[in-house]
Amino acid sequence: MSIYLKLVKALISTVEPSTEEKSYNKIFYRIMGFIAVFGIMLPMAFFVGVVIYALTQPLVSQGSGQNAVEMFMHLISVFSFIFGLNVIFSVFYFSGDIENLLPLPLKSYQIIGSKFTAALISESVMEFIVIIAAFAGYILASGRSWWSWILSVFGMLTLPIIPLAYCAIICMLIMLLSGFIKNKDTVNKITGFLTLGVVIGIAILVSKMGGLDTNKLVEALSDPNNPLLNVMNCIFPQVHFLVSAMVNNTFINLIFYIAVNGLAIAVFLIIAEAVYFKTAVGINYVAGKKKSKDKIISSFKMHNPCVTYLKKEFKILFRTPAYFTNCIIINLIWPVFLYIVYLLNGKTNFLDNFIYGIHNGNEESVLILILAISALSVLITAANCIASSALTREGKHFAFMKYIPLSYIAQINVKALVSIIISGAGMIIYVIAAAVYLNLGIKMSIFCCMVSLLSVTFVSYFGIFMDSVNPKLVWDDELNALRGNYNVFFNMAVAILLEAVTCAGAYLLFKFTSLGSLVIIIMLFIFLMILNTVSYLLCSYKATANIDKLSV
Amino acid sequence: MIKFENVTKVYNKTVRAVDDISFNVKGGEIVGFIGPNGSGKTTTMKMLTGIIRADVGKITVNGFNVRKEPIKAKESIGYIADSPDMFLRLKGTEFLDLIGDIYHVPTDKRQKRIKEFAERFELSEALSSQIMSYSHGMRQKIMVIAALMHDPPVWILDEPMVGLDPKSAFELKQMMRDHAKAGNAVFFSTHVLEVAEKLCDRVIIIKKGNILFDGTLEKLESTSKNESLEKIFLELTEK
Repeated sequence: MSIYLKLVKALISTVEPSTEEKSYNKIFYRIMGFIAVFGIMLPMAFFVGVVIYALTQPLVSQGSGQNAVEMFMHLISVFSFIFGLNVIFSVFYFSGDIENLLPLPLKSYQIIGSKFTAALISESVMEFIVIIAAFAGYILASGRSWWSWILSVFGMLTLPIIPLAYCAIICMLIMLLSGFIKNKDTVNKITGFLTLGVVIGIAILVSKMGGLDTNKLVEALSDPNNPLLNVMNCIFPQVHFLVSAMVNNTFINLIFYIAVNGLAIAVFLIIAEAVYFKTAVGINYVAGKKKSKDKIISSFKMHNPCVTYLKKEFKILFRTPAYFTNCIIINLIWPVFLYIVYLLNGKTNFLDNFIYGIHNGNEESVLILILAISALSVLITAANCIASSALTREGKHFAFMKYIPLSYIAQINVKALVSIIISGAGMIIYVIAAAVYLNLGIKMSIFCCMVSLLSVTFVSYFGIFMDSVNPKLVWDDELNALRGNYNVFFNMAVAILLEAVTCAGAYLLFKFTSLGSLVIIIMLFIFLMILNTVSYLLCSYKATANIDKLSV
Repeated sequence: MIKFENVTKVYNKTVRAVDDISFNVKGGEIVGFIGPNGSGKTTTMKMLTGIIRADVGKITVNGFNVRKEPIKAKESIGYIADSPDMFLRLKGTEFLDLIGDIYHVPTDKRQKRIKEFAERFELSEALSSQIMSYSHGMRQKIMVIAALMHDPPVWILDEPMVGLDPKSAFELKQMMRDHAKAGNAVFFSTHVLEVAEKLCDRVIIIKKGNILFDGTLEKLESTSKNESLEKIFLELTEK
């Protein structure tokens, strides 16, 4: 047991975000932390709590008060599963510590158990907050006792176990069955597409449901034999046992809850004991196709250094499985999630009026469209973290940036361009799709693309500046460069908050002043240009100075 | 070609990694930089290449001040870092092309030099594979090729022999001699005293950030009668 605990401690220490000792950076990080906690985490937790509270209240009188929280926990489990696949693959098979752990006289279950626990703890922090908020909403709405509070804390820590255990079992079986695939990177990339496939599958499932409004949702949840809930209870049985333990104040359901979790862990460890060493030993990266020496030599040609540097950035992003999934595939996942939200809203008056307004040049609808495009561009660019991890991803070879004869700002520009191209290309496709769907004119479509690009550019430069303050250059595997990196989270928090304030300000100006939408859109345009200039200047002066100061 | 003038580097305001050191490396010289672990060798080399900023003092490479004209100074340097694990997802060809473009190496010169180096190090066939599939020694070889491809007047090599097989180590030593003969400067760190003994015109011994000795091997040997270089080194550094 002590070996297991020591291993967990050691593994967690490698994913802990770096801390900065300099006092000015400490203050900066405290401010960013404050913004992230009070601007994003707590409002989100509050929102979740309020939604569950609002859904639970009408259900309590019908005797099915637990259904809303139960459905929500299933949703969280599905999310855990979707995002856990990539994490587990990386942690089990592609982290740098494997070469050090495998030669030690340890049993499979000790290595894999500690890796699983470390992944569970480091990956579920945000999930813990959401789970406890949802339970709080339920307990307050249904007037449960102190026993429920204790169970909710217990549930907060243990609910993600089964979804991650499923991921672990699937990963090990894929690795076992993929012996015929020589290059293991290919297997890891497949999980990226698998994640996308699961999300698209959910979208198709939801589209077949024909949309849900709040009344329909409450009606569906009040059905004690809700078919979807029954299916989900079979997939994630732990949710039902935990919620039942809360509702009935009984130990028996708690015992069942502990038993199913124990069973999942036991099955996972048994499979690990049988399979892990076989699949982890001999992970290889195959050599490229053989070419004649003359052909190789004649392939060397002189190009512009910035173009070659740009190609290098793209190749690393596309060839590194953790980056491919979290920086590239994520651009495709977010819009599908938004499409699911759109489908869940169904045909509401707001959407009908909005589309009608766009078709008829209604000023408010046009303004909302422009603001939505700007907000989505900011969200996608911040979420793919290409910019906010641009320096962190250099890791051990960060020194390369410093000893080559290419100015820091030139390198920053190339890194920003990578983020602009990938995020911008995705956004422009979505803008064109929206333009076709909403029948926007060419001028309007071009304007939407420009607003999108300005938003993407601002977040890209701002992200690089944020990363330059304290890049996390020591990481064991590439996933930790993204996940264990405060800068990614802070950049997302600041960008989202700034965009939320901008959009709200623009909309309030429209509503409460006599300014027309065109004037406000021009003001937004100018504001985005100012943000771009500021973020570029931050990179030119502060980020370059930060890079110069870094001792590596 | 390399000039260090009263250079100091302090980490976290407490650890004096390099303490007011001064030395020169002239064109045509091979200078070995020797010292125990943690003595300040890598910090010195990193300050020389612009990776770390010196707190005090002036560093000049090929006549260019490292702080004031960093790009020109960097263009004059061929640097091999202490770890060859770099850009593992790139193919050998892609990595060398990246370096070639950054240092503005024309196509014909690039092809000629890569061909020559790859044959000397027996790496030609592996160039089309990702660096990830290379052994440690092969990675070190490609770093050597990348660092020397643009024919810089100053070579700065941090433990360049580590991981190289005997033939490649021999080839590199020969290249270092040829480079110095052509009037260029070679400054390298090593733990292997035999390498320093056979290769260097001069050695600099550093301990705890201070230079203990700077001179020819003959001068070093004359400080102690009939003792091996190893013994002299130990005596100096364990005082």
